[in-house]
Amino acid sequence: MRYFARKIGFFVLTLWAVVTLNFLIPRLQPGDPAELMVQNLAGKNAQLNRAQVEAMRDLLGAPSGSLFSQYWSYLGQLAHGDLGISYTYFPYTVAEVIGKAFWWTVILVGAVQLLSFAIGILLGAFAAWRRNSRFDTSVTVISTFVGTLQPFWIALLLIYGLGYGLGWFPTAGGYEASTPGFNGAFLYDALSHAFLPALTLMIVTPIGWILGMRNTMIMNLGEDYIRLARAKGLPDRMIALRYAARNALLPSVAGFALALGGILGGTILVESVFDYPGLGRLMGEAVGIKDYPLLQGLMLLTAVATLVANLIADLLYGVLDPRARRAAA
Amino acid sequence: MALLDVRDLSIRYEPKQRPAVDAVDQLSFSIDEGEFVGLIGESGSGKTTVGMAVLRLLQRPGRISGGSITFDGTDIAHLSQDELRKYRWREISTVFQSSMNALNPVTRVEAQFADVIQCHTQLRGGEVTERIRTLFDMVLIDPKFMTAFPHELSGGMRQRINLALALAIGPRFVVLDEPTTGLDVVVQHSILENVRRLQAELGFAVLFISHDLGTVLDLSDRTMVMYAGKLAEEQATRQLLRDPLHPYTKGLLGSYGDPRAETVRITYVPGRPPDLAHRPDGCAFAARCPERIDRCAEIEPARTEAGEGLVACHVAAIQRGADGSGIEVGPPIRTFAGPQFVKSAAASAEAARGLPLVTVDDVSKTYVRRQGLRAVRTEAVSGANFVLHRGGVTALVGQSGSGKSTLARMITGVDAPTAGRITFHGSDGDQVVARMRGRRLRSYRGSVQMVFQDPYSALNPTKTLGATLARPLINFQQLHGSKLRERVIELLETVALSPGERFVNRYPHELSGGQRQRVVIARALAVEPELIVADEPISSLDVSIRAEVLELFDKLVHERNVGILYITHDLLSARMLCDEVVVLNEGKVVEQGPALDVIRSPQDDCTRLLLDAIPNPFAAARS
Repeated sequence: MRYFARKIGFFVLTLWAVVTLNFLIPRLQPGDPAELMVQNLAGKNAQLNRAQVEAMRDLLGAPSGSLFSQYWSYLGQLAHGDLGISYTYFPYTVAEVIGKAFWWTVILVGAVQLLSFAIGILLGAFAAWRRNSRFDTSVTVISTFVGTLQPFWIALLLIYGLGYGLGWFPTAGGYEASTPGFNGAFLYDALSHAFLPALTLMIVTPIGWILGMRNTMIMNLGEDYIRLARAKGLPDRMIALRYAARNALLPSVAGFALALGGILGGTILVESVFDYPGLGRLMGEAVGIKDYPLLQGLMLLTAVATLVANLIADLLYGVLDPRARRAAA
Repeated sequence: MALLDVRDLSIRYEPKQRPAVDAVDQLSFSIDEGEFVGLIGESGSGKTTVGMAVLRLLQRPGRISGGSITFDGTDIAHLSQDELRKYRWREISTVFQSSMNALNPVTRVEAQFADVIQCHTQLRGGEVTERIRTLFDMVLIDPKFMTAFPHELSGGMRQRINLALALAIGPRFVVLDEPTTGLDVVVQHSILENVRRLQAELGFAVLFISHDLGTVLDLSDRTMVMYAGKLAEEQATRQLLRDPLHPYTKGLLGSYGDPRAETVRITYVPGRPPDLAHRPDGCAFAARCPERIDRCAEIEPARTEAGEGLVACHVAAIQRGADGSGIEVGPPIRTFAGPQFVKSAAASAEAARGLPLVTVDDVSKTYVRRQGLRAVRTEAVSGANFVLHRGGVTALVGQSGSGKSTLARMITGVDAPTAGRITFHGSDGDQVVARMRGRRLRSYRGSVQMVFQDPYSALNPTKTLGATLARPLINFQQLHGSKLRERVIELLETVALSPGERFVNRYPHELSGGQRQRVVIARALAVEPELIVADEPISSLDVSIRAEVLELFDKLVHERNVGILYITHDLLSARMLCDEVVVLNEGKVVEQGPALDVIRSPQDDCTRLLLDAIPNPFAAARS
């Protein structure tokens, strides 16, 4: 129990640090975004109009008061889920904009990650168990080859082949004609739109898990406890699963939890290629148009997601590996 | 009919990159129901390979390339893994060498008993738990540890549990492969006692594989000696002790001395075993054998019956009248006519009169560990007093956890004592070790050198010996160019790796264990130290080459007047090298004095415990 309490304590501490940094970093940057915007509107060489700048500040809801009181009210706003107003999607708040994109990404990438992990672990474990068999060789060679390809390039190939060529799937967007909501037509629409991005990711993501699992498992198969399990005359399935795979899984599980944290930010290119209405595309946009509040919101979200994923990884590791509990406690 | 009958077993390793090696070559032996048979051999002799083959656990690139392994009337050498399953654990079980890794680290001990019990018997639920409880009682471990994870147990407990696990289904045959290597002598002793008792009670047959002559001879009814993939000799243990046939066996026996004698003599076997990829013509041992005759280098000796034993040696066969060729070889001798290492009590007394080198004065060390808000204090060493002499060897003897290593760390200046002081009477005046700083500390580090237990991990495998030895010379003596090279070669010659030029560009993996340990010693000598701290320097070496390292230490003491602090749990080796002995128990010095006195008339229970733990096969043979 100590182990878990400790890990949660660390989580709270880092979370606070992240939130505080997210508050401080923009304030440490030189220059005034309001001035910059007015300057952009008025033209490069125009004289700045004080009143305009003030008006822009009010419009943006720029903070006033001491740094500490700003910090205090920032924390208060955060607690209410208030991340400010997006420049690009004005008058929508950042929270609303992110909220809309959030589920698109989480469902698409989350499902892909879970599935890739499961497939990768199984293929990797099986390849290791049948080491040097034809299955193992083909899995390893294909994985290594596909691993060198860029996801967005695969995406373009798929759009060209399955989208334009055969016309089986829509090539862009998240849905088309149907009304968003929980109804059959929309679900079908959304799924068919998600298919190509999902396929793209499914080709690329399992590779890391396959190779990682295969290598750890091969190493584990050389351990004495595997030999002893064989000497015990246990059925192969039991040796493979309970002894070899169970131990080989440990590093992958930690990696998987971290990968879940990366869901929110890691798919900018693929989402952009498919014009998919998720967080990745949103982030690409926000960077392009310098939408600071939105960017800040997304950054905070990514950081928090990574932290949560780390926490899950630690807790899970504690459950799976009894040695970790003692070593860290 | 024998329970296990191995006929002409050959095992071949066929790695992809290197030439194939016959690790085991036409080996035959048999083991009867309930018999305890020992298999002795040095590293690389193929003894573990034999064990693995009998268990049918050989892994690629190794495979059985010929012969048969008949267990209870069935040849199991060529059964498929599925057919083998009905023999596994129910008939043949095993205890592996490394107690660390033989248990699955992520599941509770209980589950690792339960899976095999449920797999082979009808027991279920509460009956399984009951069975495990009984097994734990058998190996004298509190059943409350059933729910522990392997890492929560000590090495000795883990190995006891492995023993219990091996007996879980009541097998008829158990392979013990170095079951106590790496454990403390006292722990080793009690585990082996446990094995002996259980074997007598339950009547299973045992193949006990070990490089440790003492334990094998102590426990086995019959002993087989393996050399370079073949059996050199096989005899009833008592008979083997009384009348060893093969010169190699004599060499092994000669590496055991009687610690209580006024003058201890131990022999060692020079050279190293042949490369099995290029097996020499004739007898594989001929190159190292002091008794060899012309024929040995040409004709491979066949296994012949000599007296009550079997031996593969021309000389022994002729001597015992089993060979009618009429070559004159003289009468059989009992000892190994090779190089000898002698240590006498008189010389030790001389050494103890040397000048003091290090004075340990009422030294204590308390470690404070924080656990949340509580501070847990551990007294690693308390109130230790002793003196190390120049030109002498002092042994620091104790069980694991007795504070030996902590003391060594304080003497080398890595740790500072919490109370008391350690004074170094070096060539530039007396200094208190813990107060040294900066340059002074740096020069002290030069005068005190460590030799570690494991010469395999103490050398960087990617560096040549030359590079390894050059490093301290560059660091401490700013030597460069041809001077550096000269000094490196000189060092190699000092530790008898000659000609030095031939060794400079070699890598550690090309050397034997003894040669590697000599390189480690050469590295320690590079900076011309005044004190060498040697932490179990011979315990990981094969018995036949231990003496050669001991001799090197001894030579250093006499020729260079250095002091040596020899840390060990083994009083026997302490007696062979050391002049004085300091016995530690739970951080306290319980006894100290001249080595011979301490061993002959131990005053403290702890010393007696350590003495009793030394396997003493000769006691039985002499009586």
